[in-house]
Amino acid sequence: MLRGRTHIRGDDLRARARQQEALAGLGQRALAGMNLDHLLDEAAETAAQVLGTDFVTVLELTADGRGLLVRAGYGLPEGLIGDVIPAVPDELPIHALESDGPLVIDDFATETRFRPSPMQRRLEIVSAMAAPIGARGRHFGVIGAHSGTPRAFSPDDAHFLQALANVMGAAAERARHDELVRDSESRFRELANTTPALMWMTDAEGEVTFVNQGWLRFTGRRLEEELGDSFGLSAHPDDRAELLADWRRTFSRREEFRREYRLARHDGTYRWVLEVGTPRFAKGEFIGYVGTATDIHERRAMEEALRESEASFRELADTAPVMMWTTDENGNVTFVNAGWLRFTGTTLDEELGDTWSLGVHPDDVDQMVPTWRRAVAGRGPWEAEYRLRDRWGEYRWIVDRGVPRFEGGRFVGHVGTAIDIHQRKTMEAQLEESYEREHRIAETLQRSLLPVRLPSVEGLTLAARYRPSALGAAVGGDWYDALERPDGRVALVVGDVVGHGLRAAATMGQLRNAVRAYGLVEASPAEVMVRINRLVANSPEEAMATVLYLVLDRETGEVSFTSAGHPPPLVLGADGPRFLEGGRSVPVGAADPTAFREGTAVLAPGSTVVLYTDGLVERRGVPLEHRLGDLARAADAAEQDLERLCDGILDGLLSDEDPEDDVALLAVRPQPIDTERIAMSLPAEPESLAGLRRRLGRFLHAAGASEAEVFEITLSVCEAAGNAVEHAYGPIDASFRVEVSCEDGEVVATVRDSGAWRERRGEHRGRGLRIIDGLMEDVEVSSDDHGTVVAMRRRLAQAGT
Amino acid sequence: MAVERRGGSIVAHLTGEVDMTNATHVRDELLASMPNDALALVLELGGCRYLDSAAVAMLFDIVQRLQRRRQELRLVVPAGSPLGRLIELTEVDSAAAVHDTLEAALHQ
Repeated sequence: MLRGRTHIRGDDLRARARQQEALAGLGQRALAGMNLDHLLDEAAETAAQVLGTDFVTVLELTADGRGLLVRAGYGLPEGLIGDVIPAVPDELPIHALESDGPLVIDDFATETRFRPSPMQRRLEIVSAMAAPIGARGRHFGVIGAHSGTPRAFSPDDAHFLQALANVMGAAAERARHDELVRDSESRFRELANTTPALMWMTDAEGEVTFVNQGWLRFTGRRLEEELGDSFGLSAHPDDRAELLADWRRTFSRREEFRREYRLARHDGTYRWVLEVGTPRFAKGEFIGYVGTATDIHERRAMEEALRESEASFRELADTAPVMMWTTDENGNVTFVNAGWLRFTGTTLDEELGDTWSLGVHPDDVDQMVPTWRRAVAGRGPWEAEYRLRDRWGEYRWIVDRGVPRFEGGRFVGHVGTAIDIHQRKTMEAQLEESYEREHRIAETLQRSLLPVRLPSVEGLTLAARYRPSALGAAVGGDWYDALERPDGRVALVVGDVVGHGLRAAATMGQLRNAVRAYGLVEASPAEVMVRINRLVANSPEEAMATVLYLVLDRETGEVSFTSAGHPPPLVLGADGPRFLEGGRSVPVGAADPTAFREGTAVLAPGSTVVLYTDGLVERRGVPLEHRLGDLARAADAAEQDLERLCDGILDGLLSDEDPEDDVALLAVRPQPIDTERIAMSLPAEPESLAGLRRRLGRFLHAAGASEAEVFEITLSVCEAAGNAVEHAYGPIDASFRVEVSCEDGEVVATVRDSGAWRERRGEHRGRGLRIIDGLMEDVEVSSDDHGTVVAMRRRLAQAGT
Repeated sequence: MAVERRGGSIVAHLTGEVDMTNATHVRDELLASMPNDALALVLELGGCRYLDSAAVAMLFDIVQRLQRRRQELRLVVPAGSPLGRLIELTEVDSAAAVHDTLEAALHQ
């Protein structure tokens, strides 16, 4: 048996799989922080190998926007890399920079939109593709793939190049960013060694997920001893109970935590520390605390000393490595210590008196000074975080804290200490940024791995949505897909790889391809899942995924499906919404080869199937049944139109909040068969022809044509369509239109495209038209500026009798 | 691909559809299945639902390539096959012998 179509699809799949694998690999290296130059070199080589082109160039727009630096390349003559070439408006690179997507040039000899660059002329390039790197407005440059021989790049090739460019763009942006923070990071590290800050982080459950080196040095404990449910473990036994009670109370309210207690040091002594914890939120979602503990032992000692005598306090204060001050009963500064003056670079005289706004960041003055005035009036304690100008003129965050002093019951002013917390503030901001960066790269990669558009499946309306999660770096491994099987049935799939981030996105790419490949070969959903399970079980990476795989017969409405640990598909029919039960199995990768079960059902005409991933229905604290009920109601209330149905479901279930987890949604509805006429626009791709044949077959059978007539008319229409496909090569997203009707036993068909028919080369080229002429009765070919129309008709034999 | 050897001939049963998306691939598979000592490639088209002009071009191409190896192509197109008119119209029968049955093609 020669399964022609299966084989060629296998080839396509292999090509796509290779492209996606290359992309995933590059994305992973981008995420791992590979040096940008190495990454660009690798991207160039990857593009050359996957696309099989002679040359690849990576051009970076210079800072003044007037030149293009040859930043990396593949196959280029010696010495070209490092050159700057002028950026000329009507040449390909600049056009590509200004376009939103990839540009394809079949042949520069016939190309009218733009000229080749001098470099392309020098390399005698015939065909080329170019894609912009970086988002519009923040362009990094452009990647080009060039061929010295004529080359017809497919839409897949163009998409691949753009996806590659997207990953490069994310990496370039990251590199730019890293450069900016590197300076502050090194200063930051320097500081970390001179200031006694200890840092920690928890997750949303309060488990410690991170402590810094400073913390480990201080406690003398190992990292694994500090992580987990370890909060307060090293506190002095006398302080621990209160510390924990205070922490739990504050944590449950998501408020700022602030407490002084004694912490065990590595040498067995206890030191007073001030622990400050700040709740962290990502897009409104609580994700844990970040905190610091600062050694305030000296300050405590100062306060003790002050209680004894002012003189011994001042003496001690000036030798202490902290910033201190005292005020009188009116709030005027009466003393600041040497530590304070070292920080601000001011003199004692300048600091004395009503100097509360001195050196304070203009944005912080209005908030800080009034609280101080209230503390003085109320004779109470005071605390504020604000930015104070240091001796070099730079503003640094400090936390300033004052306690009232009383002499013989009389209020005499405040004594205060300030601590430099700039490190904590910057650390928080940097943590935020690094999460954002990983998120951006992973999301770019995931979008590159998802289908650009859903395949157009004849006789089926499809709509899909993908919503990335709002959480920091938590890009998930959700995907959806639809494919037409060789037996004419349609396979639909949604899946969710357990885990987040780049690894999950890369695994998703592999599983998606595997499902496509197995889906073509295996008719039974359970068997497809058995194979996927085997694949996952044998892969060196531990992965687990839930998958809903469903096969639909468009003609009969029969469906069979397997749900590998996935929520059930929803069917919307005339009698309301219902969930398809059955076919429940374990997730793939969860256990040893398990028998995957299969469920079946028959859809009434006009029904809609909705597949979705957990992210849509799982909500912490809400039983799944309730959410499924919500889903059914939202879907039932939504409009009929599939696109609007998808929007309605997302709006109804996710409301205003961003999803906690990724959400993939796929809605499918078989179209009723129109026996009157066919009118369809198809993408100008060879792959469109198989669907067109099937549609024509059903239509012509319904119109009473014989087997031979079905074949001959189908062939004629498809030959005309095949021409349209050939002309359309080049611009992405070109399409052609087919209209067929049958009246009084006469079939009338027209095929329109938007290209000009090329001159034919070789004797086989004209064969298509000869076939149409021989098989149809009346054939007219007309061409104008808008394109070419082939009109043909044929009377069916049966009609005459 | 189900290919069988019958005496000096290689018989390939082509099923499904051949069009511009897979014609080259089908050609390569067919040629790869031809050992040097075989005299003829018999292509049985009874189970084939669709051929287009690209498939026809592929048949001519196979004829030429086989000729260089002093081998020939024979086609089996059962009587009443919808493919009949296409074969006639494109004059594939001028380059390769066309038979009604596999037996006739083998005993040519």
